[in-house]
Amino acid sequence: MYRDLRSFLTKLEEEGQLVHITDEILPEPTIREIGRAACDLPNGPAVMIENIKGHPGKRVVLNVHGSWANHALMLGMDKTATVKEQFFNLLEKWDRYPGEVKYVGKPACQEVVIKDNINIDEMLPMFRINAYDAGCFFSKASVVTKDLFDPDSLETENVGTYRLQVQGKDIIGIQALPFHDIARHVTKAEEMNKPLPIAICLGVDPALTFMASTPINYDQSEYKYAAAINGIPCEIAKALTSNLDIPANAEYVIEGEIIPRQRFAEGPFGEFPGSYSGTRLQTRIKVKCITHRKDPIFENLFMGRPWTEIDYLLALNTCVPLYKQLKETMPEIVAVNAMYQHGLTAIVSTANRFGGYAKSVAFRLASTPHGISYCKNIILVGPDVDPFNLEQVMWSLSARVRPDKDVIVIPYTPGMPLDPTSEPPGMGGKFIIDATNPAPPDLILRETRLIDNPNSKGFEKIISDLQKKASVK
Amino acid sequence: MKCVRCLHDTAAKFAEAPDGSGAWEMYVCSRCNFTWRNTEEDEVINPEKRDPYFQLKGNIEDLQVLVPVPPLKKS
Repeated sequence: MYRDLRSFLTKLEEEGQLVHITDEILPEPTIREIGRAACDLPNGPAVMIENIKGHPGKRVVLNVHGSWANHALMLGMDKTATVKEQFFNLLEKWDRYPGEVKYVGKPACQEVVIKDNINIDEMLPMFRINAYDAGCFFSKASVVTKDLFDPDSLETENVGTYRLQVQGKDIIGIQALPFHDIARHVTKAEEMNKPLPIAICLGVDPALTFMASTPINYDQSEYKYAAAINGIPCEIAKALTSNLDIPANAEYVIEGEIIPRQRFAEGPFGEFPGSYSGTRLQTRIKVKCITHRKDPIFENLFMGRPWTEIDYLLALNTCVPLYKQLKETMPEIVAVNAMYQHGLTAIVSTANRFGGYAKSVAFRLASTPHGISYCKNIILVGPDVDPFNLEQVMWSLSARVRPDKDVIVIPYTPGMPLDPTSEPPGMGGKFIIDATNPAPPDLILRETRLIDNPNSKGFEKIISDLQKKASVK
Repeated sequence: MKCVRCLHDTAAKFAEAPDGSGAWEMYVCSRCNFTWRNTEEDEVINPEKRDPYFQLKGNIEDLQVLVPVPPLKKS
């Protein structure tokens, strides 16, 4: 489907999902206002900002993933596809892993090379995303690192999205939390007191951006997953200053090294739970080289109080790996909706193999690599309930939960430090609500009969057509 | 130059509008790493008008370390 960001932007434009703002604007506060507005609109479009004061000719694009319409187009579906349809479409594409990677000799991302007099804020139209962020952040980068002791492996090479704060002409702070794959690479390098090569890739194809923020296993390749989703080989190339593999068609690539064994003040940053993180001591990158395409487009992401673009980006790519990991050993799983703040709240639809089984599903979810820290509120619903339909989920809570038997709190488990309830940051708990129908030997709920739905599909179409006609008049 | 967040005299200019128009300048604090542009809103860049919650008090070295430096391994 999409070799690069540009081909996806062309598709968005054809579908009426890309607009251009050409009036001259200052970076702050206007770009954040545009980002907020775009994702607040129903099926909000991507927005290209083309006239930024002081940066003639530079362009910023926001909200590329910021609606279900854009998300569907990324998957090659009709832009009206429902969330549930997109979930099952993504499941099919997931099974194509591993896709193919193809090395490119003269990559587009290296059309322009800058090694001297680097000054990030003068070269890119940076902007402060939220008013009390500590500076200008890259919020949508695909960040590449390798295990220094496994340099030839594409599988353990990591492409992840981490927040990056520009802290000087060629200095960037990075937040690499202990449970992030990149932290393994950083720790190994720091144990040897060696700098860790890193490439910050901006404006890549939409499936790679999507995979960079997906919690797949440590030894799975984001490039090969992006190829599986796109249905075409993922084009990669070698970085100029290291052995790293980078997306060949990225708009910008910032190459550098993580400085070992030192920590510097970083943050706050308005984070995905809708609140600011604190100021902490974090690792830092020294930039060595910036390459870019001719006439580059700077893609970044506005993140505010949910929902904003990040909530679309972190929605189904959180659901699918969790579904796959549960399904491996628990075939009763029907679907997983972990769209809420990267899975801090998750809803699993499952049958009960026997009494209490759904609670075991919750424990399994809470022990997946992602679920250990993220999945805090876990709701189990029966196989007859669509976990993406919150009205049905709330009905399950209303009609199937026995407060004395079906609600469990497990205190003081690992937590997600950016969750404002995680105290101290990194500690948390699990809240499990079992809203499934009990199975033997659990006591069956009081004898009741559910109301069967009549066959209404035919009339849905008739009424919908009548409604369209009525709105034309 | 005084940092608008930690109020130490540790800030300096590090960037300006690349078209030479003088449209804006940017500053960085070498102590707390706060950066700002001179054209931003008063509640962001004026210490008197910033939300005190977001001012940085205390010592930098007392901030929480999210990922501790691991022990050195002998090669």
